[in-house]
Amino acid sequence: MWPFDAIDWLMLLVPIAYLFILVGSLYTFSSIYRKRTAAKAASLEPWFPPHIQRNIYLSLLHQEDPKCPDSILKAALLRRATEDITRIMAIRNAKQALQVLLQRGSVGDDLWQRFQRAEKEIEDELRDVVTEANAFAPNWGQTIFQSASEMLQNDQIRERVTDILGTAQAEKAWWDQRKSQIQTEFMKELDEEKMKSPTASSVAGSVTGSVAGSEDAVLVEGGGPAEKTGKGKKKKSKN
Amino acid sequence: MESLDTFTLLPISMDPTTKAITSDTPNSALNNELAHLNALHKNLLAAGTPTGTPPPPVPVNPTRSAQISKLRESGNNEFRKGNHGQAVKLYSLAIDMALGRPSWEPSGLVREEVSGLLSNRAQANMAQQNWAEGAVDAEASVEVKKAGNAKGWWRRGKCLLEMGRLDEADEWVKQGLEFEATEQDLVQLKQEIEKRKGI
Repeated sequence: MWPFDAIDWLMLLVPIAYLFILVGSLYTFSSIYRKRTAAKAASLEPWFPPHIQRNIYLSLLHQEDPKCPDSILKAALLRRATEDITRIMAIRNAKQALQVLLQRGSVGDDLWQRFQRAEKEIEDELRDVVTEANAFAPNWGQTIFQSASEMLQNDQIRERVTDILGTAQAEKAWWDQRKSQIQTEFMKELDEEKMKSPTASSVAGSVTGSVAGSEDAVLVEGGGPAEKTGKGKKKKSKN
Repeated sequence: MESLDTFTLLPISMDPTTKAITSDTPNSALNNELAHLNALHKNLLAAGTPTGTPPPPVPVNPTRSAQISKLRESGNNEFRKGNHGQAVKLYSLAIDMALGRPSWEPSGLVREEVSGLLSNRAQANMAQQNWAEGAVDAEASVEVKKAGNAKGWWRRGKCLLEMGRLDEADEWVKQGLEFEATEQDLVQLKQEIEKRKGI
């Protein structure tokens, strides 16, 4: 039998205590450090503002009395998907530029961390939307983002077109005013010509004629019947 | 955004009869979003698909396309007959119809239709010497579809020239030539503008 009595237990305790203290302190340090970095990351400002569409969807989903009908929930989910599309586009557009800036040291590490967090969140969000969509209707998850992206584009088109067409009134008012201004100026000029040389009517006539020609050009050039038929023909051939 | 398993409960409620979602708070972003949501909900109900979800972008429901092209055809006919005012009305109807497509239908199709119709309306306005309206229509047409829309570029340039806004016209046509460098009409228009500016 191995002689247990020969072991000096007290002296053996010293290395064991050493190891214990070493491992314990390392563990404490790492846990505190990790907690601090996590807290710091959490306290960073989020990349995007609050996701209203998501909040609406989930608020409606959790509404109990009365329960929200499916059709509204579907619409809310579509709105949420649309917002997700804008977000993922923003992330994708920003990523390359941000990477370059980070390599050059132009932006801080904080920004990069915020960005990575946003990227991770949006991935989770997309997955979540697909799951929810599939729960409403089989295979909707495959097309919901297509529909959402078209909706986004269509909204943009409509906004721009209505913006531009909205300027029509102002443009028309401006042009009417300008037109009458040109006309009065022209009439005045005509009168002055007449006043100046009432006797030399033939010369004045030719002068006013030339002035009239140039003014006319400003006003209605291309408005003549020949021009009109020309345009008509072009249209016919091209459409 | 919050993490995946939390969300902010918003103070919204549903009208039990109209099924409209409303909020009592004066939060304009929220109210705006709810208005969008309610509009979309109505559109979805009107679409009447069996699952209650929007159909995939393709294939497109052909009835609206047929109506639009019918309106355009009759507009073209009126234009040829010389009833430019009537043509403008018909084109306007067609434009409203094209813009009124359910928003989940392909946006490329909307671009194509709307730019063509706006360009035609610009033409009809120009034939009546409504240069201001023509210029606005052509601008919108180009905004919707920049490449392959030489007629749109040309028409606004021409309208601006007619209104005597030479600098704008010059700028516009130069921009147009970046997209349509080989278009003969645009090159001619540019020369015309430069001649007028020279005087």
